[in-house]
Amino acid sequence: MKRSTLFRRPVPAPLDTSRQGDFAYLEPGEVYLDAACQSLRPQPVIDAIADYYTTYNACGGRVKYAWGQKVDRAVADTRTAVLGLLRLSARSYAVSFTLNTTYGLNLLLQQLPGGRFDRVVTSHIEHNSVFLPTITAARRLGLPRLVLDRAADGALLYEPAQLEKAVVVVNAASNIDGRQLTNLADLVRDTHARGGIVIVDAAQAMGHARGLLQKTEADAVCFSAHKMYGASLGVVVARHELLASLELSFVGGGMVQDVREEDFDLVQGDPAALLEPGLQAWGEIIALGRAIAWLGDTRPGGLAPAEHLAALSMRLYDGLAEIPGLTLLNTGPSPVVSVHAATQDAHRLAVFLSHSQVSVRSGYFCAHHYLKEQLGLPPLLRFSLGLHSTVSDIDTATQTLTRLLKGLS
Amino acid sequence: MFCIAAFIVLVVMAAFSARYRRYVGTAWNCVWRRVTFRPCDTTFKQDVKDHLLAPIAARRPGLVRPASITLEILAVLVILTTIWSGYTVVKSAVNLYVYGTCNKQDSASCTLGAEACSIPDETPGFIESLGAFDVIGAFGNEFASLGETFAAIPARFQTWTAEDYLPADATFFAQDAANPVALEVIDPGCTFCRALFLNIEESGFESDYNLTYIAYPINGTDGYKFPNSLLVTQYLEALRLHPLDGAETPVDWQILERIFTEKAETGLPWQDTINKMDAREATDTLVGWLGEFGLSAEQIDVVVAEAGSDAVTEVIAANKTIVEDKINTIKIPTIIFNGRRHDGLVSVDGLQ
Repeated sequence: MKRSTLFRRPVPAPLDTSRQGDFAYLEPGEVYLDAACQSLRPQPVIDAIADYYTTYNACGGRVKYAWGQKVDRAVADTRTAVLGLLRLSARSYAVSFTLNTTYGLNLLLQQLPGGRFDRVVTSHIEHNSVFLPTITAARRLGLPRLVLDRAADGALLYEPAQLEKAVVVVNAASNIDGRQLTNLADLVRDTHARGGIVIVDAAQAMGHARGLLQKTEADAVCFSAHKMYGASLGVVVARHELLASLELSFVGGGMVQDVREEDFDLVQGDPAALLEPGLQAWGEIIALGRAIAWLGDTRPGGLAPAEHLAALSMRLYDGLAEIPGLTLLNTGPSPVVSVHAATQDAHRLAVFLSHSQVSVRSGYFCAHHYLKEQLGLPPLLRFSLGLHSTVSDIDTATQTLTRLLKGLS
Repeated sequence: MFCIAAFIVLVVMAAFSARYRRYVGTAWNCVWRRVTFRPCDTTFKQDVKDHLLAPIAARRPGLVRPASITLEILAVLVILTTIWSGYTVVKSAVNLYVYGTCNKQDSASCTLGAEACSIPDETPGFIESLGAFDVIGAFGNEFASLGETFAAIPARFQTWTAEDYLPADATFFAQDAANPVALEVIDPGCTFCRALFLNIEESGFESDYNLTYIAYPINGTDGYKFPNSLLVTQYLEALRLHPLDGAETPVDWQILERIFTEKAETGLPWQDTINKMDAREATDTLVGWLGEFGLSAEQIDVVVAEAGSDAVTEVIAANKTIVEDKINTIKIPTIIFNGRRHDGLVSVDGLQ
């Protein structure tokens, strides 16, 4: 008997099952599903960093020889590309490079001026990169710290009065279930209206959900190049006013114009330098420029990256939802899906999956407060997709996990 | 329990491969918390178990649970065997130091000590007692034996003086008032006593020491280790009670010299020959030798009668007490000279 199409699950559009050529170096059978931690680098990015190391491996910044000037041009191009990616103007924002998102957030929060703000606001679902520095910043500034809830769709739940002269630090996309800060624009507007600032942790958003951040008026956006197909690098995109207001305590070469016995003059006309003490990771910065270009060019399966990933996310979500004994934290598809099995330890499952060449994350994903303290959950298993992912990867992972749980139960 | 076992295994593996050394520190942290009755604060146990079980999970996930239980059981066994091994090593080392053998129950079986005929310990061993379901006896005997060994440690530090352990009516192989006394405990049937005697002669030991002996026939649960040792000992003691006047070398020593150094007509050493004889043949042989060594028929009759007397039995019993309770050796031969007690065969160099 034919079933009614009314209740039949919609058939997803056919997906390209082959792996992109830019990830051809991945061994057959290897299933990497930890892109939320670090995305695999496409071959052009690897080539770009190898090219730097092998053909013009020089310092940038006030270098007069050809290699150094080439580095300076490439680094400037990357800064421009970052702003272009976010559709922000260099007249208002500067791009600084650092170690990673956590480092970038700390550079801002630990150097905020005293006396200007009344409170620090964050949310429960934050990564430790936000959660911990907001604790220490609030302590240093002697401010109360407000931890707010997020709605199922990721929106920050707040009363406007709670944003009075607030330093708001929240993620744009969760590293647990991928939920996005859907009310970012409202939050920025309401915060600014009350004399506060908004700093966005965009570590999970820049790879696949940066649309949310484009043309943002947030005061700073911090993210990691290594979660968006670049080499290991942190990026801080911040308003000039915010950078100028910082009480700098983390200083060094590259950010000063002149130095005397007891004082120094900061470099003028280069606000990005205020967060860049010391030598920079030139190769990694150049590789980020190449990654941004690659993200603009790549068409996996002939689709835009976001479309391709949305289809894969649906397949992953559906595949995991069908496994008996598994509880999903996500309320809907996302490139990041966290699950837990009532009777099985997530770390053990991760080890067992690893033996079948399926690499997934286990634990609390640096969100201990939310997952462990607030929700009281055991360690979880996280599957996160990247543009290297294929249908076959997802099917292998879900089938292997199904077989494991069935056998272990 | 598992992390302790893993630590033990890793320590062994790390000795051979640097690959495992990085894990030893982590394992130790876990073990230290365990032995101080705190929960392990690392996921080390889980990690090790999971990695061991992963190949099984990949092929037959259903076998993971029984395999996990098996691993826990193996861990317990590893710990128990390690504790037992450690205990055995310590016990053997102390035994080796105190008694010159790592195996107190069967000293001849220990290759680390000097060669010797062992005086068997008739106390049931640990495994033997367990086999008989005597758990209390197993542990009781084991710890009593260990206590006895530790109690004997001070004896190793003492200055041994042969005169303190001389038997009644001691006779000397050669005697010079200027020489110190040396005492050996021998069993006439023990091949290592023969070897010691040969070494003594080769080294000229008897010229430097007034050498005497205690004949100690080694007895076990199944009778005497060498069937005619008691008979020979009886004759030796009878000869000590009735020494032959004017003999340059006491007749008992002449008998020992023949047993240890000469061969029978068959070409076999006399010691081996006597060991294979029945009591009648051995008696006839000994009696024959008495005539050869100058005893008259009457004197032989006296010695033969004395050999079976209560007096000789008492002397042998007294000597047994000296060997077992005062000298407290478990290896034959044992020789006391130059302030030390030497258990087992002593080389020519050792005697010089």
